[in-house]
Parts: sequence; structure tokens; C-alpha cells
Amino acid sequence: MLDLLQQGFGAVFSLNILLLMAIGVAVGIVFGAVPGLSATMAVALCLPLTFTMGPQAGLSLLVSLFIGATSGGLISAILLKIPGTPSSIATVFDGGPLMEQGHGVKALGVGIVFSFLGTLFSIAALMLIAPQLAKIALRFGPHEYFAIAVFSLTLIATLSAGSMVKGLFAGALGFAVSTVGIAPVEAVRRFTFGVAELNGGFAMLTVMIGMFAVAEIIRVAETGRRAQQGKAKSVSMKNIKGFGFSLKEFREQLPNAGRSGLIGLGIGILPGIGAGTSNLVAYIIAKKRAKDPESYGKGNIGGVVASETANNAGIGGAMLPLMTLGIPGDTVTAILLGGFLIHGIQPGPLLFISQGPLVYTIFAALIVATFMMLFMEFYGLRLFIKLLDVPKHILLPIILVLCVVGAFGLSSRLFDVWSILLFGLLGFAFVKAGMPAAPFIIGFILGPMAETNLRRGLMLSDGNFLAFLANPIAATFLGLALAFVLWQVYSALRPQKSSINEILRT
Amino acid sequence: MATCNKKELLIGVVMLGVALGYLLMTLQLPGHSGIDAAFVPTLLSAMLCLLGALQLFSAFTSVPANVAPSDSESDAAPAERSDVATVIKTLTLIVGYVALLNPVGFPIMTAVYLYLQFVVLTPLDTRCNHLLYALIAVVTSALIYLLFREAFDLMLPSGLLPF
Repeated sequence: MLDLLQQGFGAVFSLNILLLMAIGVAVGIVFGAVPGLSATMAVALCLPLTFTMGPQAGLSLLVSLFIGATSGGLISAILLKIPGTPSSIATVFDGGPLMEQGHGVKALGVGIVFSFLGTLFSIAALMLIAPQLAKIALRFGPHEYFAIAVFSLTLIATLSAGSMVKGLFAGALGFAVSTVGIAPVEAVRRFTFGVAELNGGFAMLTVMIGMFAVAEIIRVAETGRRAQQGKAKSVSMKNIKGFGFSLKEFREQLPNAGRSGLIGLGIGILPGIGAGTSNLVAYIIAKKRAKDPESYGKGNIGGVVASETANNAGIGGAMLPLMTLGIPGDTVTAILLGGFLIHGIQPGPLLFISQGPLVYTIFAALIVATFMMLFMEFYGLRLFIKLLDVPKHILLPIILVLCVVGAFGLSSRLFDVWSILLFGLLGFAFVKAGMPAAPFIIGFILGPMAETNLRRGLMLSDGNFLAFLANPIAATFLGLALAFVLWQVYSALRPQKSSINEILRT
Repeated sequence: MATCNKKELLIGVVMLGVALGYLLMTLQLPGHSGIDAAFVPTLLSAMLCLLGALQLFSAFTSVPANVAPSDSESDAAPAERSDVATVIKTLTLIVGYVALLNPVGFPIMTAVYLYLQFVVLTPLDTRCNHLLYALIAVVTSALIYLLFREAFDLMLPSGLLPF
């Protein structure tokens, strides 16, 4: 493993890849910092740039964007009191008050350093767990994959924020949209209406760009003209030693950080939910466990630590199911899945055998990008603050043009451009209806996986469904899925709501 | 509360409508015997219909009882006035942009689209700086076109321009 990792670092430490990654981290931080732009958007928009690069350069760029954007959200969370991305909502709770009390630099320093530690922790976990998991997953056949896909589908739809009915509907609708095109196994055309372009179904990227980027532009058109853009306050970097906080404060926060890191990692691994949920969960638990819970929300650095450690620990977590099973852990890794496929690489257990060097290049890129993020974000802070002032009405139209270019670049046809518009409208309708978009995406990606493996599994067992239950791993996951649905129905029928749901609603 | 319920009711109607549309299309698929290409769509349409009905049901039942808030999470929405005119203008611009992309070409259409979209999205309290907008539009368009053509080998439609 060590020599593979060495090879990986060797590949990353070439001038053009390092340069690409530096740009990736910087662009990522900007996307994370500007409210309304997200990590998902950053990766989706930059994916077309990687088409002509080799897989090593391309994937290094994409993971740098992922890391930069996940962490960048803390800048606006602390300076503007607006979370730059859903993954730093909880950072606002304490980062905002700290800024108002004049401890802006301390809040930023703590946020950035613990972002860094959270990311490193999760990458270490990823590197230790992924090869082992891949070994087990190698033995998985269609029965197991079907069960895992079903389990993941029930998980995302029910755990998504807001109403469960809407979450489930969004997931099922995503699955329904994925059935457009030629059906698996017997190749019947479904819902194509004789349109040749629809034979292959909708491209995953057009769905993502539409739902996340185009929908956001329409949303800004609706509210942006009346909304006032917050002016980012600058912070003085004079007389700041290190990262603006003392070693004692750092040591005091370590237990909190460790706990939050584990929460972030665990939630990151679960398919479909990621940093957007884990930062809130970690915050709530940190507050409960703290000696002085009443100081949370009034400017306790513990709140920033919990939120930022957890959201960045989700990076390694989300990469884990993607690399070992080909199941994306959140929406960003869903696009990364598209990135892998475009370079002709199928993520899954075989990746570790057939593409060992590439896997370790990705690990190395993750580590290098994490270090870049730490220094760029803290010492380049003033530059990023300036960029926060770029008006939205200039930025978003340019992003739309990039969306169009990205969609067109997929296969040089305008059909894909019309698709992003269609899914943009759908995404806007989702926003209006209070329906979460993540279950739709995961349904769209995991749906075909579930269907194909169901059909394959049934062919293997001559149409006997009991074979799914006779297989221990498949039966376990199907049982878990059933138990999960039953538990959700049970808790939905009880009147009281969990504190997590309560906070997710606000 | 009343408007909120009406909204939830409308969402339910749309959900059920989508579900029934999908069901109708599914019924036209060949097969429907055992597990074939129509199996999963049938299952999905049943599920979508059920969920749509559940949404309608929950919206209905929460009308008389004001005690428990309904399942909506967007109670804050009425605070922001929605600007339908700008949305329609933006959508028209995007549709026009995509429709003319091939015949007129990427460089010209992008510059035109960007300029118009900047104007449409300019906040009410900000003055339109037309010269600056035009400059940003032209430079961005040229930059993206050349970058993708030269560096990333992506042939965007050149349209009317000879290069």
C-alpha cells in the first residue's frame, strides 16, 4: 500500500497537476463561499474541463474542487452570517456571534484548521477502510447489489429534510426519470416517444446541472432583484500568530473534534445524505455534551469546530461507497461518479485491482488538496472576501453559460442543453414545493442499479425471488431496509418530532 | 395557515397528476407479465400515486385542525415576494439563447444573452451600467469560446462567424 501511495504522490507532484489542483482548490473555495453556489455546482461545471485531460489530472482537479468547496462555506458563514453551502449551516450559529464580538479571525482560523483536520481524518479512514471493503465487495453479485441499492434508496428518501412523503416522492420520481430509454436485459424502448436522443436516457450530468445550477439561477431571478446582497466585512490580519487561536483552545476542542469527525464520517458514508446533515447533527451533539451548553449559539468556538470538522469529514465518508461500490455518498460524489465514467473508469471493487495506481493517485490528490486548502484559505482570505462582493446578477448568468457549455460538451448535441433547462425547471418546482432534490438525484442514479441487478439476479436464479433472501448479505440489507421503513412510519405516526428534523426545517 | 394548506393541496394535486401521467405511459408499455421491462415502472407508478394521494390526504386533513402544523417546511416563503415577471423574462432569455445557439453561433448568442440577462437580473436599487455590462458580456463570451476551442478541444457552434 505504501509504495502505491508513493506512486500516487509521484503522479500528483507534477507541475501541471499541482497547478490544476491549486486552481481547483481556489475555485472550490469561491464556490463554497459565495452563497447560492455549491460544491455540487463547482464539480458539475468543471467536469467538462476534464474531458480532454487524463484521468489522473481530471480526477485530481475534481477532488480539489470538492475539498475547497466543502470548506469554503465557512467564510460566508462567519463573515456574512449566511451559510455558503448547506454544509456550513451550523457554522453560522456560533461563527456569526464570534464575528460580531470581534473574534472573526479566531472563528475563521478555528474553522479552517478543523476543516483541515476533519478532512485528513476522513481521508485516513477512507484509505484504511476502502481497500478492505473493496475486497469484500468483490464477491458481491447482482443479489447483493440489488439489496444495497434498495437499502440506500430507502435511506435517502426517508432521511432527507422535511416531509417524508415528499422525500419518498422525489426519490421515486428520480427513479422514474431514470427508466426513460432502453430497458436493461431485454432492451425494450421505454418512454422515448420515438425520439432517438432519448434512447440512452437522460445523461446523469444534465440532470445534476439542471437541478442544481439552472434551478438556482431561476430561483435568484425570482427573489434576487429585491434581496439585498450582504456586504462581507473584512477582518484585520495584523498581529495574528499562527491561525489566530491558542494551543490551549485547540487542545480543549480535540474531544469535540474527534466526536464530530466520527459523526461526519458515518453520515458521509450513508448514501444520499452527507455534509448538509452531519454538520447539524454534530452541532447538536456537541452542544448537548458541552460543559457550558448555554454559551453555544452565542459565540462558542466549539460550535464552529463541531460543524466544520463534521462537514469536512464527510468528504472521505462520501468517497468510500463511491470508490468501493460505485454508489455515491452524496450529490457531489454523484457527479464524481459521472467524472469517473467519462474517463472510462467504472468505480467499484474492481477499481482497486484494475486501477490500483489511479486509486492511490486520488488518495494522494485528496491529501495534497487538503494541505492546499489549509494555507490558501487562511492566507488568501482577503482575496476570497473580495470575491464575495461580485454581484450575483453578473455571476449567475455567466454560470448559466458555463452550464450550457458543459451540457453541450457531453456529446456535442443541443439535446443535452434542452435537458438541463428541463431539469432546471423541475428543480425550481422542487424548491417551490419544498421537495428535496437529493433523493431525486440518488433515485435517478441508484434506480437503474437496483433494476438491472434485480433482473440479473432473477435470471441467475431462474426467476425465483427467494434467492435474494437466501443470500445472507442481500437478506441483511433488505431486512435493514424494511426495518428502516417500518421505523420511519412508526416515528412519523408519533406526534413528537426529533430535534434534528426540527432544526433541518428551519 | 390557510394559504399554506392551499399550497400543500396544490402540491399534492401536481404530485398526483405527475404520478397518473407516468402510470398512463407505463400502461402503454409492452409486457406486463411477471417481471419484465414494465415491472419496475408499474411498481413506481403505484408508489408515486400512493404518495401523491398521501400528500393530498394530509393537506386535506390538516385544514380543519389548526393545532398541528402541516408537513410543510416552507412557512417562511411568503416573506419574500416572488417576482414572476423576472422569472418569465429569464426563462424566455434562456430558451431563446439555446434555440438560437446553433444557427447564430455561440460567441454572438452568448454575448447577447449575457448582456440581456445582466440587465434583467440587476437589483432594483442598482443602476444598470450598460457599457460595463456589454464589455463583460463580450469578453466573457470570447474567453469561454476560445478557451474551450483551443485548450479543451470542444467545438462550440460557431454559427455566423467565419472562425
